Amino acid sequence: MTMNFALKNVNALPTPTWNRLGINDTNLEVGDAVFAPYSSNPLSALPDGVSVSPLPFPKADTETGMGRDAADFVLANRTYGLSLRTEAGIRVAEPVKLEFRLDGENPALADAVDISAEENSEITVVMSYRSDAGFTGFHGGLTRLYAEKGAVIHLVQVQLLGETCTHFDNVGAFAEEGGTIDIIQTEIGGKAAASGVKTRLDGEKSSLIMDTIYFGDGNRSVDMNYVAEHIGRKTKSEIHVTGALLDESEKTFRGTIDFVRGSKRAVGHESEYNLLFSPKVRNRTAPLILCAEDDVEGQHAASTGKIGENTLFYLMSRGLSELEAKKLMIEAQFRPVTDRIPDESLRSAVMETVQGRLSGLESME
Amino acid sequence: MDKKKTAVQDIDRTVYDIKDKVDASYQVEGGLTPKIVSEISDQKDDPVWMREFRQKSLAIYNKIPEPNWGPSLDGLDMSRIITYIRPKTPMRGNWAQVPDDIKNTFERLGIPEAERKSLAGVGAQYDSEIVYHNVREEVKRQGVVYTDMESAIRDPKLAPMVRKHFMKLVPPTDHKFVALHGAVWSGGSFVYVPPHVKVDIPLQSYFRLNAPGAGQFEHTLIILGEGADLHFIEGCSAPKYNVANLHAGCVELYVAKNARLRYSTIENWSKNMYNLNTKRALVEEGGTVEWVSGSFGSHVSYLYPMSILKGENSRMEFTGITFAGKGQNLDTGAKVVHAAPHTYSNINTKSISKDGGVCTYRSSVEILPEAYGCRSNVNCESLMLDDQSRSDTIPVMDIRNDDVDVGHEAKIGRISDDAIFYLMSRGISEADAKAMIVTGFAEPIAKELPVEYAVEMNNLIKLEMEGAIG
Amino acid sequence: MLLEVKNLKVSVDGTVILNGLNLSVDRGEVHVLMGPNGAGKSTLVNTIMGHPQYKVEAGTILFDGEDITHAPANERAKAGLFLSFQNPEEVPGVTLESFMRTSRVAVTGKPVKLFAYKKELAEKMKALDMDAEYASRYLNVGFSGGEKKKSEILQMLMEDPKLAILDETDSGLDVDAVRIVSKGVENYKNRDNALLIITHNTKILEALTVDYVHVLMDGRIVRTGDGRLVDEINRNGFQQISAAAV
Repeated sequence: MTMNFALKNVNALPTPTWNRLGINDTNLEVGDAVFAPYSSNPLSALPDGVSVSPLPFPKADTETGMGRDAADFVLANRTYGLSLRTEAGIRVAEPVKLEFRLDGENPALADAVDISAEENSEITVVMSYRSDAGFTGFHGGLTRLYAEKGAVIHLVQVQLLGETCTHFDNVGAFAEEGGTIDIIQTEIGGKAAASGVKTRLDGEKSSLIMDTIYFGDGNRSVDMNYVAEHIGRKTKSEIHVTGALLDESEKTFRGTIDFVRGSKRAVGHESEYNLLFSPKVRNRTAPLILCAEDDVEGQHAASTGKIGENTLFYLMSRGLSELEAKKLMIEAQFRPVTDRIPDESLRSAVMETVQGRLSGLESME
Repeated sequence: MDKKKTAVQDIDRTVYDIKDKVDASYQVEGGLTPKIVSEISDQKDDPVWMREFRQKSLAIYNKIPEPNWGPSLDGLDMSRIITYIRPKTPMRGNWAQVPDDIKNTFERLGIPEAERKSLAGVGAQYDSEIVYHNVREEVKRQGVVYTDMESAIRDPKLAPMVRKHFMKLVPPTDHKFVALHGAVWSGGSFVYVPPHVKVDIPLQSYFRLNAPGAGQFEHTLIILGEGADLHFIEGCSAPKYNVANLHAGCVELYVAKNARLRYSTIENWSKNMYNLNTKRALVEEGGTVEWVSGSFGSHVSYLYPMSILKGENSRMEFTGITFAGKGQNLDTGAKVVHAAPHTYSNINTKSISKDGGVCTYRSSVEILPEAYGCRSNVNCESLMLDDQSRSDTIPVMDIRNDDVDVGHEAKIGRISDDAIFYLMSRGISEADAKAMIVTGFAEPIAKELPVEYAVEMNNLIKLEMEGAIG
Repeated sequence: MLLEVKNLKVSVDGTVILNGLNLSVDRGEVHVLMGPNGAGKSTLVNTIMGHPQYKVEAGTILFDGEDITHAPANERAKAGLFLSFQNPEEVPGVTLESFMRTSRVAVTGKPVKLFAYKKELAEKMKALDMDAEYASRYLNVGFSGGEKKKSEILQMLMEDPKLAILDETDSGLDVDAVRIVSKGVENYKNRDNALLIITHNTKILEALTVDYVHVLMDGRIVRTGDGRLVDEINRNGFQQISAAAV
């Protein structure tokens, strides 16, 4: 089926602000896309303890970061679907890998992946998206996570698409008592990329750890919308985003910590660190804290600007050129997050992609 | 429209029902008609340009929808607002000539006393009209003009300056309520400080809305010449009625090269007020605008003073506190546009929510592409005094070049048990310990205010806190 | 007896920390409380002062003949108890001086004579080698570790309690600061009041006559002796002490 489609008003802020700022939501041009079943098998051999589940996702109405329209779009055009499950009490360290590639055979991918972890189980899923050089493709994903009591779900989503691709990742997660949702997203490629993650921390002591790195160069745009909804008592969220903008790239980050009444002793921390390297970049940020509970601790900190003069001076005093020092700083900023990617080859692929993009630069002004 | 959980008191419906019959013809015409606006022009003896301006604003008002963000305005029915209440007295330059009932109100508010003690000039507005305006002789001699807006428009020497600036910084197209203001504005103050004149003691305008169901739409226009220096204080209050009152004032501040303007507001409207006020400053090269803003009253507030840093090295500082109690939904904050290189902004706000009150901190920091070398710092802290209240923080930053240093910090929480215990261990009761911590929380704002206002603010906090501790 | 703690059982978040503790302190006495980290020393003194986080499961605390087991902290302060905190809270917006004055009015129930008060404060700050400027700074905000401890001792001297409890007041201080703080404690002590000191250090005790040393382990006092016990602990450590006690 050929589609010429734009997703309107996705990645909406949970509470809107001035329309003039254009940050309340975003539109994503999908363009011409032909959706046909994914022609190869992206799934690695399943480790022991993980199975493909015939059961429906435990919570069909799980809300996602980008919203219902983006979720319905993937379901309506699905080219790949998978439902993974771990059995109660089984903790699987070995990651399940899903490697997708956009090319002449698979120009448009709409993948819907459900991951459920039964009581006290643990699962790691690593999803990666790449494309052939110069290929213009589309990817839209819907990923839903359900962590039962004491379960841990690690989700790693690595997006290394070529510079003319359009991409979105729409994630919804639900955690029962003591459940942990641990997400790493790396938004490195694509012309236009959008990502939305909404996590409902439903059970007491459930938690979210969210680490994101982004890299913008050329006229790339990245649009993010993360929401941590604290429902249960003593729930915890940690959302940390760090990235670099070069050339004429743009980035929008919306991050919301939502303390719903009853989420007593919940703690939510959010931080954002943006390094800017070109006078033509645009960096937009809306870090929201919504709070209907007194016995909570919420904090947000953001810092945006050039590399600090002291840091630059320190590195240059050790013999690095300004350009080398800047490149080093970008890599240094990404390293703590990429080090957590549990797949050696993917880890190096991320760093190599960033280094490759940086190597072409003769100056960063 | 965002539907937030709020504990807003219902407006007394029976009063509305009575008004329905009385004002049936108004309702059909949607409350505000070209005819009503034209009557305002007649009564004010508007010059032609102002007549046309009002009508144009009305047309814009009828086109613009209500905001689709922010607190609910459902309780506000424009067809039922009496937009223009003319008091029974002309403006005076002497308190003795102001009618007793009006004068007594201002006496109770301590305005004449404050004028004697610590102010360079005072303007007092009662409902729609300024009833008193006076400025000290020595300040007049410096060439400072401080008068009511109507007089300024009619004064042949001032008129060209007014016309050049009036609603140029805040055009009626900005949003619905400023369009309304353009159509029905009345009263307010005009201030001009000539170049290099420093006014050592503050000027003050006090706004009092007395009539039930009324609107107040005063316009404040302040123009500072190069290198001038002024502190302007604005105070607002109203008695509590069972019908919704509306305040849609507009403040335009022009700060020339190297000039400095401090604009302080303590707003304590009664808790049936819809306070939809628009304030904006344009700051030229090397100029500074400092906002000090305390929001304690109103049922609903939309208030975000905006600073446009147009000239290189211009600066803005915003210090604000918002305290929302029962039935209050106060949406406050600040906006700044860095439109020139090496500009600086610093926003520091505190909010306190209790008894089901809702505080929203809302802000925007924009740094335009050509505005390199800018610094901006935002720091907002919110205190929740119970689990029935609500506090939201909605800041936006839009940065369009790389040569910037932008920091943002937000914190939310309640008074720590350990801090209360520490104070109690030194003999202080729990209630006093909490009040002490809350007052301390607000101290950075209090110390920016003139001392009488700081005392008033601390009293307001103490008063609010008495009900907060069970 | 000034303070009598009888069979005290205390829990925090459901975990029992103190389990049947007894302790008596009389007027004129200096008591030292020692014990390994996590033994419950801070729990004991916070419970005596009435921190709501510490739940008294059983037992009683009598102070000056009154049962204060469930009294709020400010009532205990009024009765004459003082705790010098290990980590004093920072309270922005409230100056040290105005806080101490408010505290004195609350404790004594009488208005403060401003001039005399300021003079007394200036003298006591000088004795503690504290810059006068600290009086107008916000309570503990931006104070270094040493400054916080001095501010606690200053408050003790201004309040002049019947029983002062010092929770590691000497830890984290340099040599000069320990000497100054010790001097302050020495000035405070007289025949009618009492001290209960938690310390890992013996410096602060040098100028004082220690009457009793208690060793707190596993939620109980396992041994009580005179001043010489301090040296024994320093030589042999707590394990031996507890083994000897069994």
